[in-house]
Amino acid sequence: MNFDLDIFMDALTQRAPQYLVEHLQLVVIPLSIAAFIALSAGIILTRPGFRHLADRVMVLFNAGQTIPPLAVIAIFFPFLGLGYGPAILALTIYALLPISRNTIAAVSAVPREVLDAARGMGMTSWQVLCRVELPLSVPTIMAGIRTSAVLTVSTAVLAALVGGKGMGAIIFAGINFFRPELVLAGTIYIGAMAVAMERVIAFVEWLISPAHLK
Amino acid sequence: MITLDRISKTFPGTDIPAVDRVSFQVNAGNICVFVGPSGCGKTTILRMINRLEEPSSGRITVNGQDIMSLDPAVLRRTIGYVIQQIGLLPHKTIEQNVSLVPELLNWPKSKIKARVTELLVLVGLDPGTVGRKYPHQLSGGQSQRVGVARAMAADPPIMLMDEPFGAVDPIVRIHLQDEFLRLQQHLKKTICFVTHDINEAVKMGDYLIILNMGRLIQMGTPLEVLTEPADDFVLNLLGDDRGVKILDLTRCETLMDRDRNFPYNPDSCLIQSVKPVKIALELMMKKNIDQVGVCKGERIVGVLTWNSIKEHISRVSRDRP
Repeated sequence: MNFDLDIFMDALTQRAPQYLVEHLQLVVIPLSIAAFIALSAGIILTRPGFRHLADRVMVLFNAGQTIPPLAVIAIFFPFLGLGYGPAILALTIYALLPISRNTIAAVSAVPREVLDAARGMGMTSWQVLCRVELPLSVPTIMAGIRTSAVLTVSTAVLAALVGGKGMGAIIFAGINFFRPELVLAGTIYIGAMAVAMERVIAFVEWLISPAHLK
Repeated sequence: MITLDRISKTFPGTDIPAVDRVSFQVNAGNICVFVGPSGCGKTTILRMINRLEEPSSGRITVNGQDIMSLDPAVLRRTIGYVIQQIGLLPHKTIEQNVSLVPELLNWPKSKIKARVTELLVLVGLDPGTVGRKYPHQLSGGQSQRVGVARAMAADPPIMLMDEPFGAVDPIVRIHLQDEFLRLQQHLKKTICFVTHDINEAVKMGDYLIILNMGRLIQMGTPLEVLTEPADDFVLNLLGDDRGVKILDLTRCETLMDRDRNFPYNPDSCLIQSVKPVKIALELMMKKNIDQVGVCKGERIVGVLTWNSIKEHISRVSRDRP
């Protein structure tokens, strides 16, 4: 298998970029849905009445992580068919765990005496959550979202196998036709996107982090 | 005024009550100290007054109102709360921490700002430098002061203080105690104060409530408790220097002999009548004399002798039969 620089340059500049937006959608949409679900679950599971459920729900989310994305697609295939929808669903399930785990860990780690003082001053539960627990949890929650984002960028490649498009299209084409130039071109974009996502989220994290940590 | 009526608290999953049928009353303007070993229920009682814990049975009223009829958050905004671990919000500046309760009460911004400055000065901190700092940039003593300032921010008539000076070294602690007592002379707050340190209890308290294993063992003024401990538990709690503690709380005028003539000359030792006997004793030992003149202002009103002190100690601090 020889490496043709012309094909590589063509793939890098002409063929691959058209998949960028598709791939970005395959990352941002599942990530947003997962962040919403995981944050809600994480907040509910750290409330006094539900704390005992936290472990069981974490087992469920852990299970979600052990199922390969392809298997998730296979399981939902009879209901959702092939294509974009199942790909989004599988990626969402995949992105859930790091965010929910970090949310639960972060909210649970807010010092007891801080919560005690906040309640003792006369904050309602809602005020304690919004003004104390969540602001102090931002760094850890954002770390979870970063992990999920990088994970989703690479996992989203598999979406192409079920007709879900994305950068996987060019990579799998390269594999099928023995063209390493295509695989390399696709991989470069995947890597760049992972790094870019990570940096963007890190910047957002810095923006919304509690002031004493800046 | 705070009243507890047969308050009990049993935590879920335990059989033994943490607080067992405790009743007492804290009068307005007084410092009432709950004292006892760890696990005696003093903190639980304190936390029931602002509903951070709910009693299993009994009734608590604050200024005649049953606290169970009030919204807990609203109730807590009218009661200052200081804890040993302080619990300043780490992501807020000192100014923001102190503004917490006034903000919850929707005070206008300008009023909050003025109040924060006033309070930081009151607790001996420089608003200009400390106000903009974050809690992790403060020393232990400074943090404790901020904790007290935050609790006093909305000028609550009642304060609950759980070992408020417990996390600082003994020298700073004594300093903070003295300052707080001086503040209290003007503020006249109704204060419930929890400590395990009997010396702190005797020093800070107008009234002591002595607790053991969830039960109220004895209550009274420090002098009443010191001179008439209810049982061996209280006796042990008071320590081996009970007599000296009594002398610290007894004024010279109480033990002086009013009828004896004091031979006055320029070298003779005088002491003001309101000073504690302990100071007179110190003076006698230092000067190697056995009597001092007691005066009110410029006028000599009596004589305090070594013998009368000795007799007093042996009379009041005699072990129980």
